[in-house]
Amino acid sequence: MSIQVTPDLNQVGVVSSVDTELLSLYQTQSIAVQEPELVSLLQAIRDRAAETVQQSKIPTTRDEEWRFTDLSALKSVNFQAASSSKPNLAALESLLLPEARSRLVFVNGVYAPDLSAVTLPDGIIASNLDGLPPAYHSQIKKYLAQLPGAQEVFTALNTAAIADVAIVWIPKNIVVETPIHLLFISTASNTPIVSQPRCLVVAESNSSVTLIEDYFNQMTNLEAEETEAEVGEAVYFTNAVTEIWLAENAQVNHTRIERDSPEAFHIGKTAIAQARDSRYTCTAITLGAKLSRHNLEIFQTGEQTQTILNGLTKISGNQLADTHSTLALNHPYGTSLQQHKCIVGDRAHAVFNGKIFVPKPAQQTDAAQLNRNLLLSPKARVDTKPQLEITADNVKCAHGATVSQLDDDEVFYLQSRGLNATDARNLLVNAFAAEIINQIPIPSLQQTLLKTINL
Amino acid sequence: MSATVKTLVNQPYKYGFVTDIEADTIPRGLSEDVIRLISAKKEEPEFMLEFRLKAFRQWQKMTEPAWSNVKYPPINYQDIIYYSAPKKKPKLNSLEEVDPTLLETFEKLGIPLSEQKRLSNVAVDAIFDSVSVATTFKEKLAEEGVIFCSISEALREYPELVQKYLGSVVPIADNYFAALNSAVFSDGSFVYVPKNTKCPMELSTYFRINSGDTGQFERTLIVAEEGSYVSYLEGCTAPMYDTNQLHAAVVELVALDNAEIKYSTVQNWYAGDENGKGGIYNFVTKRGLCQGVNSKISWTQVETGSAITWKYPSCVLVGDNSVGEFYSVALTNNMQQADTGTKMVHVGKNTRSTIVSKGISAGRSSNSYRGLVKVSPNAKGARNYSQCDSMLIGDNAHANTFPYIQVQNNTARVEHEASTSKIGEEQLFYFSQRGISAEDAVSMMISGFCKDVFNQLPMEFAVEADRLLSLKLEGSVG
Repeated sequence: MSIQVTPDLNQVGVVSSVDTELLSLYQTQSIAVQEPELVSLLQAIRDRAAETVQQSKIPTTRDEEWRFTDLSALKSVNFQAASSSKPNLAALESLLLPEARSRLVFVNGVYAPDLSAVTLPDGIIASNLDGLPPAYHSQIKKYLAQLPGAQEVFTALNTAAIADVAIVWIPKNIVVETPIHLLFISTASNTPIVSQPRCLVVAESNSSVTLIEDYFNQMTNLEAEETEAEVGEAVYFTNAVTEIWLAENAQVNHTRIERDSPEAFHIGKTAIAQARDSRYTCTAITLGAKLSRHNLEIFQTGEQTQTILNGLTKISGNQLADTHSTLALNHPYGTSLQQHKCIVGDRAHAVFNGKIFVPKPAQQTDAAQLNRNLLLSPKARVDTKPQLEITADNVKCAHGATVSQLDDDEVFYLQSRGLNATDARNLLVNAFAAEIINQIPIPSLQQTLLKTINL
Repeated sequence: MSATVKTLVNQPYKYGFVTDIEADTIPRGLSEDVIRLISAKKEEPEFMLEFRLKAFRQWQKMTEPAWSNVKYPPINYQDIIYYSAPKKKPKLNSLEEVDPTLLETFEKLGIPLSEQKRLSNVAVDAIFDSVSVATTFKEKLAEEGVIFCSISEALREYPELVQKYLGSVVPIADNYFAALNSAVFSDGSFVYVPKNTKCPMELSTYFRINSGDTGQFERTLIVAEEGSYVSYLEGCTAPMYDTNQLHAAVVELVALDNAEIKYSTVQNWYAGDENGKGGIYNFVTKRGLCQGVNSKISWTQVETGSAITWKYPSCVLVGDNSVGEFYSVALTNNMQQADTGTKMVHVGKNTRSTIVSKGISAGRSSNSYRGLVKVSPNAKGARNYSQCDSMLIGDNAHANTFPYIQVQNNTARVEHEASTSKIGEEQLFYFSQRGISAEDAVSMMISGFCKDVFNQLPMEFAVEADRLLSLKLEGSVG
């Protein structure tokens, strides 16, 4: 399977001068797999990525792709490798989704088998690398770290430090009835730690699956009362990469939730390859982290694909949340529908950049993109750039962007119906967010998130 | 794409002739001496020379920007002739003394300068290579107190006015090409409209490049005093040469309290042949400053020529309640490249801006809209509406949009929408059903597509622009 790379994806952060400390900066974990065949495979992948890292540099605001997101705060922290502390199952209770009967839990990037539970019919794989049946060992190298955009510095850093992989593999013609929950927990400690989780999802032809990828911080959310004082200390860096391969006519419904601690750094990459007739839906919710960045990259490898991207960012305080999406359509008859919303309070700063490439072969493409931003305070800030690059002439492409505050008339209308000002505002903000949250196929998760928005 | 559409786009460039005229040309290359020479030739006051030298020193420290979506081979700045002027008598007192060859040239371009044939109610400043050759209706304008002359004349007659405003909107170190222009600009137009005056006629400057190796670096400065109004239009053509020529102009507009400036451009520089050989590099910095309260600056541009168009006419809305507008039609055909758009910087309270941009790309051309809407923290109640539509003719053309929206005030309302489409088979079928040929149908649809922009042009030019567009597209439809 070959994928055409859209021109400027790999350039970011690659410079001539060499940042030799980069590798050691975000401590490499040793490979956590036993199987010798896999160890040598991982080692080869790591070595290749390490070479890339050695020619790269952490981008600055002078790089167009990072113009509004200043990483100097991230660079100034001296991160340590993750410690081995583990939460107990009881502490996790509130996080578990009753709908999802299977879950994989990773703590600080390390697989926690005692916390995980997998109840899936035979043939469907949800495990870490060690649990992967030997039949798949030779196949894995066709997929792992093979998507374009792997040269991007943070993706390369993650690849260079691959210790284990969360793998979901759906064989041909299988429809997975219950959602699969991938839970990535960071446990805060006094020293800032770095974790670099990695997911690989392969949906073979005619299969269907629902996934929830969940980034969570244990300290702040699980035992909030006892650790209130420590909340400010929970500095850590999550550098996550998820690759999803959809074969012909496969269907993946993917929900990604980032609710890291308000002092954390989060950089996440979601890279998708979509073969002919496949359908992919992503609902990405960004709530946490002091600085977060989500790179969403979709590569079309066959015609007539359908892509639905929903995004919601709700931030306040001094948070910065950045979403960069790239949709590279290289084949005809693709449709895409993207809706990204930001709710920005206090002094927070939301960034959105949505690129859509429609080169000449992608005739009859129908791509629509909408970015809506709600500013809740005078100091809030939004930078948005919806970007279209089109060569095919027989296409329908449209994009829109709006920025505004809550409409006074709407607030007044609700007040005239007897709601107080706070309730009226909450109701409106909630409705703004609900449009995205309601796209999540898990009712219990919808409820939890709507409650969070109400705060 | 059927044959009719194709024939519609490929109309030959009819302004491509060269006027054979004796010219006063300085040697190629750029150095402090060249700048001193230009300044001396133009008999400029001392401050101007300093301004130029300062800009030149800045320029030497700067590097050529590379972020745009246009591609061109490196420009050798030492291979350009920075000053070329038709040889003339020491001083022109009236139009009768203008070289008849020049008058003929402008006649041929459809810009009659001689008394009897003038366009009624439009005052024209004609610029040929590096110098202004004639300005019409000067006396009539002077009666109202309006100053309309070439910038060299303004430097001699009204140095204090020029000194006050020159470089105030586009500082010399603003960007690479603006710095170059500040160092070497040769001529341009100067307009000053006094307090509470409505300029009685349309003002217009016509730029003509004639010589083959010169760059054209003109500088336009328009100052509208409190409560005044002026409408200004520029047009441009150049002969066909195989080599590329650099045109790096700077336009500065200043609108004081309650003043309004309307600036329209119909740009038809030579675009190069269908293989992209030759043509003008149109790298222009245009910026308007709405300095006073309730002031308004409106840009309208119809960009059909140039091998490369790279410009962003901008408005800095400083005065409270000031208004910025940008209406643009950019047409690219063959190998043309355009990276154009606008910047609206909201600084004052209740400032409003409107952006309407229409891009049409045919052939193998590339047409990008790049725009910035910035609302600074103090711009309470700022309002922006942007609309960029692209139309693609043929499947080798590119249409890109890069809108930057930066908002730092929650009371702002910013809306942006963009769409890309083509002339559909159904639409063409509908027309042919009604007995209208494909060619007419396409030209009708394009003028409908551009109507929002053409409506903003002064009457005479709207007709002209519509015609120009259908000529340019001749051969690409069907």
